[in-house]
Amino acid sequence: MFSSELLAQTLIAGVMIGVIYALMALGITFIYSIVKMINWAMGEFYMIGSFVQYALVVYLLGPDLWWVAAPLSAATVFLLGMVIEPILIKPMFTQGIERRDDYATVVTIALLLLLRNLATALGGPYQRNPGSDLPTVMIGPLPESGARFAAFLCTLLALALFYLLLKRTWLGLALRAAAQSRIGVETAGIDILRLDQVAFGIGVALAAIAGALLAPVFFVFPTNGVVTTVKGFEIIVIGGLGSIPGALVAGILLGVVESLGTAFISSPYQNAYGFLLVLLILLIRPSGLFGERVRQA
Amino acid sequence: MAALLETAGLSKRFGGLVATNGVDVAIAAGEIRGLIGPNGAGKTTLVNLLTGLYAPDAGDIRLAGESIAGLSPHRIARKGLLRSFQVTRLFGNLSLLDNLLLPYLARGSGAVAEGLARARHFLDLTRLAPLAEAPAKSLSGGQRALLQVVCGFMVPELKCYVLDEPFAGINPVIKDRIIELILADNAERGTTFLIVSHEMTVMRRLCPKITVMIEGRVIAEGTLEEVAARRDVVEAYLGKTLA
Repeated sequence: MFSSELLAQTLIAGVMIGVIYALMALGITFIYSIVKMINWAMGEFYMIGSFVQYALVVYLLGPDLWWVAAPLSAATVFLLGMVIEPILIKPMFTQGIERRDDYATVVTIALLLLLRNLATALGGPYQRNPGSDLPTVMIGPLPESGARFAAFLCTLLALALFYLLLKRTWLGLALRAAAQSRIGVETAGIDILRLDQVAFGIGVALAAIAGALLAPVFFVFPTNGVVTTVKGFEIIVIGGLGSIPGALVAGILLGVVESLGTAFISSPYQNAYGFLLVLLILLIRPSGLFGERVRQA
Repeated sequence: MAALLETAGLSKRFGGLVATNGVDVAIAAGEIRGLIGPNGAGKTTLVNLLTGLYAPDAGDIRLAGESIAGLSPHRIARKGLLRSFQVTRLFGNLSLLDNLLLPYLARGSGAVAEGLARARHFLDLTRLAPLAEAPAKSLSGGQRALLQVVCGFMVPELKCYVLDEPFAGINPVIKDRIIELILADNAERGTTFLIVSHEMTVMRRLCPKITVMIEGRVIAEGTLEEVAARRDVVEAYLGKTLA
């Protein structure tokens, strides 16, 4: 049953899927660190990303041009986020709302229900698959699904672009500063509400990239964001809320643990291994691997 | 001469507490004005009103004749009214250079290269240059205060700079450096200052005119000697009965 080849394959599969999970967590953490709210509707943006990808691939571009469809799906969801934020999230700061956490929770859960039911009403509850013509890839002696491998590579590219945006651009500087002090950024002359809008758009676009890339792997249906959202939050508990390196490391860790558990213990429990990891982290380091114990001075 | 920064009947209340009560202040262009008063006098509330962190309940604020009351903080900053904070609001994880670049680039115009040159100039001037790439959180308390004051000078359109306790808990060497920066900027481009401080020796050196606030009101204005000679000011500082 145990072989070093199986172990290697399992580890590689775990890292590959883990990086994609990390995209979800990154989106949640990123929005939290700027806008100071948790977006519970993240999985629905993943779902919309997968639907847009499906529509583009099946009706417009064809499966060969999936790599054109993916950034288009992300851009569509980015714009959707830019439209939704001023309507639902901005009032949190402009209407003198005192319990912002509660407000954000209620509003984003309402959004989650709306989007999920809208998707069911429009497209029905069916599972769709945009299909993928990508051939199986051999990593050394080990075969890996072409669609998964492509999703992995594209995720690395998306992460690199995200990193460059944060580290090398003026917008990135403003975003990094806003994550540390909203008031500091405002009094320096930056429109923080505008920055919130952009940050929300970027955060949901990260979820949409994951949805688009995983469309041929986990399929397209109105509730396909549920499992990935749960994984996103597991990663945040493991890595620490508000930490970008935490999201990446914890994402890979979760992917590897799930993969190992599935291969060597029992495959029906795939989604349970992550929870065991979460429980373990809560026991030994409740603030998460990269979390700060005190977040506010 | 017309006032650069002027308030009329400026009031702010928090529940039953009137933090500022009909404050009228007029600061001339190019003036370095001091603002003193015992703890709880409403000095920081006034600063927060001036810079848009609070919206006034009543009254008006005019910058160069234009009302800025109720504008958002970033709009006020872009009109050239900047501030520093009593507890420094530096971005601890950003480098010194990035901390300085931020207010420069926030104006929406200006090239990164020019901003960098300007930042390096100020880092040399303040002798923080060796730490240019270090995160701001690695600085000492005094260095942080120094850096925060310089952040405002990074803005070419700076008209009026409101400094909230820039000298609190800082060693004399850095205190002198901050004083020199203020005087130099005032001399070179005629920047107007409003400085909140408890440091009377510094205030005597910097501010020809001082405004005294007590319990949300302006009760005196004049040179430090004049206001210090007033009985109500002395009583407020030394404390009368707590009734």
